[in-house]
Parts: sequence; structure tokens; C-alpha cells
Amino acid sequence: MNPLAPRERLLGVLGKKLVDRPPVICTGGMMNAAIVEVMQKTGLTLPEAHFSGAKMAALAEAVSEHTGFENIGVPFCMTVEAELFGSRIDHGTLACEPKIQTEAFTSLTKVKISPGAARAGRAVVVAEAVDRLSRKRPDFPVVATLTGPVSVAASIVDPVTFLKELRTRREDAHRVLGEVTAVLAEYAGALVAAGATVIAVGDPTSTVEILGPQLFQEYAVRYLNDLIGAIHALAAPVIVHICGRLGNGTRLLPGLISDAISVDAMVSLKRLKADAPALVTMGNLSTYLLQWGPPDKIAERAVELVRDGVNIIAPACGLSTSTTLASITAMTRAVKEGPS
Amino acid sequence: MSQEESSLLSRLSDAVLAMDEAETVRLAQELLVQRIDPGRGIEAGLVDGMRRAGDLFEREEYFIPELLICSDAMYAGLRVLQPHLPSGAAERKKGIVVIGVVEGDTHDIGKNLVRIMLETAGFEVVDLGRDVPPATFVERAESAGAHIIGLSTLMTTTMGAMSEVIRRLDERQARSRIKVMVGGGPVSQQFANRIGADGYAANASGAVAVATRLRQAPAESRVP
Repeated sequence: MNPLAPRERLLGVLGKKLVDRPPVICTGGMMNAAIVEVMQKTGLTLPEAHFSGAKMAALAEAVSEHTGFENIGVPFCMTVEAELFGSRIDHGTLACEPKIQTEAFTSLTKVKISPGAARAGRAVVVAEAVDRLSRKRPDFPVVATLTGPVSVAASIVDPVTFLKELRTRREDAHRVLGEVTAVLAEYAGALVAAGATVIAVGDPTSTVEILGPQLFQEYAVRYLNDLIGAIHALAAPVIVHICGRLGNGTRLLPGLISDAISVDAMVSLKRLKADAPALVTMGNLSTYLLQWGPPDKIAERAVELVRDGVNIIAPACGLSTSTTLASITAMTRAVKEGPS
Repeated sequence: MSQEESSLLSRLSDAVLAMDEAETVRLAQELLVQRIDPGRGIEAGLVDGMRRAGDLFEREEYFIPELLICSDAMYAGLRVLQPHLPSGAAERKKGIVVIGVVEGDTHDIGKNLVRIMLETAGFEVVDLGRDVPPATFVERAESAGAHIIGLSTLMTTTMGAMSEVIRRLDERQARSRIKVMVGGGPVSQQFANRIGADGYAANASGAVAVATRLRQAPAESRVP
């Protein structure tokens, strides 16, 4: 088989087709590879690239080139959506990712969402970056990452109150999550229209560990599926990343209708594959190992993941910005060379 | 203890466990009317209920939302009973812990849970909130006469600040007086060992176990 172009390979895997080898990617968003070393080498830096489509595109392309990841991923944070809904964001520094400073609302009961939210702010910047990248690099999959409904809701309402109100204010919770999901679907639509090959959804607050299986099913699975369904209607594939331990929530994963599921480092993808053979799996090279481990160990682990039949090789979670290029390229090279 | 008293105490404990704040407050007030020792109300009622909630959390029957709602009920009950504790009542302090998030956003839920569970276990907790500079941890721990500093982070990039706290304690030769425990999403036991922390906990109940161990064995040498 001739080596596939990165775009074909990723789309092939997501379409459950047989490909020459698993792609090695890093989606962007909470899992982005805009490390300090790349920024210093290229002079393309954060936080500036959070605010300009041209700068975001240039940095994303440079990240892909230097790291060897077989996709181009935007944006470089998971605060774009919360900002659309009015939360105050600390946009961080070159080495530190943006974070929520103050949520827009104190309670789910007070949430009001303006209908034009998806067409404003940095949503426009990300769409512009996607547009530039998809024109410039037709051979590469452009992965645009969204923050999932539960995590967005927990970033616009004080998270402690939010978590309690998932139980005590169910009606409000469903109303807000429905409205948030609708805005996210519209934003995803703009990204697909701009040329995004794949939409990835990272939903770090919506974990089985935090919510428990019952609330995970009631809120996370339901609204993730609503969002994925809306994106599927535009004929774009979706990858979902679920953080944390799964425990007895593992059985809920096949209920997600995404085209691939990515999990954290502590989850055994080998076992997940055995339990649910139909799942397309992505992951899950420990970001701790990536940050601290010697390159040969990193390469070894990457090859092990390939051997275990993981469909897409990727970091397990958010990368530290102090991770070195030597470590990341050890990972990407090992996957490309394959098991000896 | 009369039968009425023990029944009231167990109902108070049940109300906390059932996440019923209004009922917890009502029972706490009834306890005062019945002239039952508020100290017992706190220990055998409120704290007992919260401990049982912690057990369910550990058994993965309760999760974070449930634990947070239970703690609201417990604190509401405490607000009723605490003003009625006789002055000079026996302190139930197991130690003083200064906790805070080195750098993070408002998702410092884990740190809040650690505070709740440490308080339930009888520790006095000084919560410094989030984005706390290393120097502040050390200063506040010394001024509070703390036995333990609990550090949490959500950002991998700021994990260096954790070793900075330890370095500052070393400089002041305060490591035997003030122990350091670490936790948070990107932190692991390996990382704790690497920076020379005295303990690592993966979650809130783990943090109680570690803090208890650090208090019981103050002279124990740390993992190199």
C-alpha cells in the first residue's frame, strides 16, 4: 500500500477503513502542542496567536511541522467558548495557557444566552485560522477543537454551584445545556464551513470520575451526542476526548456516537478495545512521560500503543508547554516508523 | 445518652447524608431545644453524616456533586450549632493545614473537596484560594503555625512552583515542622517523589489519609 496523505489516513481511520498505519496527531484545544520551544524557534508566539486568525494559523502550521504531528490543530486553549458566553478570561502568557478568571453567571438559574454568541469574539478568529489552513494545506487534516457542553456550562457558571445544581436544579441544567449545545453546534458549523476536516471535542469537566455514571449519562452523553449529531449532519467526523478514570463508566462509552474516542493515560486502551471492539480509539501517551521521560522510553510506549491496536496515536491529555521537541518527535517518529 | 438523643443524632447524620440542608438545619435547631450538647451534635450528627458521605464517595456511590451538596448541609448545620458550643470546649483539632492552588482557574473543585474532607476529619484548614505564589504559602503557614501545606495545581506548566515552596521551606529549615503534600490533575506520586514532597494524594479522601499519616509520624523521613 502506498503511504497515504495524512488527511486521507485520518479520515480513513475515522471511517473505519483499513489504513497503512495509525496516524499520530494532537488535536488542539486543551490538547495542543504549542510548546515553548516551537514558539521560541519560530517567533510565532502566544498569547498573540489567540487573537488573530493569521497568527493562529501560522503557529498551528509551525507546530505541526516541528513536532511531526499529522494534523494541524486549532485553537490553543479551551476558553474560546466560555468567552463567547461572557466569562472573563485570563489569556495567559507564552508559557501558560489561558484560563477562566470569572464565570459569567453565579447560578444555572441566571444563565441568559444571546442568540448571536457563536458568531462573535474568538469564534471568528478560529474560523479564519481554519479557513487559511484548509486552503494552504489540503493534504493535512485541519482539526478544530471545541470544548464540550458540560465543560462550557461549568465555565460560564461557578463550577461548584454548577455541579450541585446538576442534581438540585435539573430543569435549569437541561435548559442551559440545551442552549449551550445549540451555540456550540452553530460554532462547529462555521468551522466545518471554513474547511475543518475533523471536529474534536474535549470535555474535561464531564468525566465519570467527577459526575458519576448517572449524571454522566444524563448530561454528558446526551448533550455530547446532540452536538455530535449536529456535526455529523454536516458530514464531518467527530473525535471526543474524555478525561480521567472511567471505572464502571466504561460501559457508557459505546453510547457516544462520535467517530473516535480518546481517553486519559490511566485508561487501558487495550482493555477498552477488548470490551468494545467496534470503538475507534485514540490516545493515550502519558503527558507526564512526554514531559519527563527519556526519548527512547517515549518511542517505546508509542510503539506499544500501535501494537495494542490503538487506531490513532495521540497524547493522553493536555501537554505541558515545557515539553521538548526531542520528546515529541520521538513519539511521532516512532509511530511513523512502526514496530520493527 | 437517651434514646431520644441518639435518635436525633442519627437523624441529623442521615439528613446530611441525604443532602437535605433544610432538614439538617431543622434537626440542629431541635437538638438545641432538647438541650443536647451541640458538640455531640456536630460530632455524632453532622460530621458523622459527612464521613458516611465520604465513605460512599470512596465506594463510588456518591460523586462530586453529591459530596458538595452534603457539605452544604453539614456547614448549614454547623452554623446553627457552633455558636452554642461552650467557650473553651475541647478542641477537636488534628492539626492545621494551609491549602491552596498554585496556579489554576476556577475549577479548583478538588481543592475545595480536600478542604471539606480535612475539616470533616478534624483538621483546621486555612484556604488560600487559587493562584497563590510560593512565598505566600510559606508565610501563611508560618503565621498560622501550620503543620502541613497542601499544594494543588491544574496547570502542568506551573508545577515548578511546587518545588519552589519546598525549596523555600528547606531554606528556612522548616521541613521538619511543616510537611508538604501535593495533588491535582497533572500531579502524580512520581512527581511528588521527584520534588521531594512528603506526601501525594490522588483525591480528597486520600488527602485525609496522607494528612493523618503526616501528623502521626512527624519525624518520618521523606521518600527521597
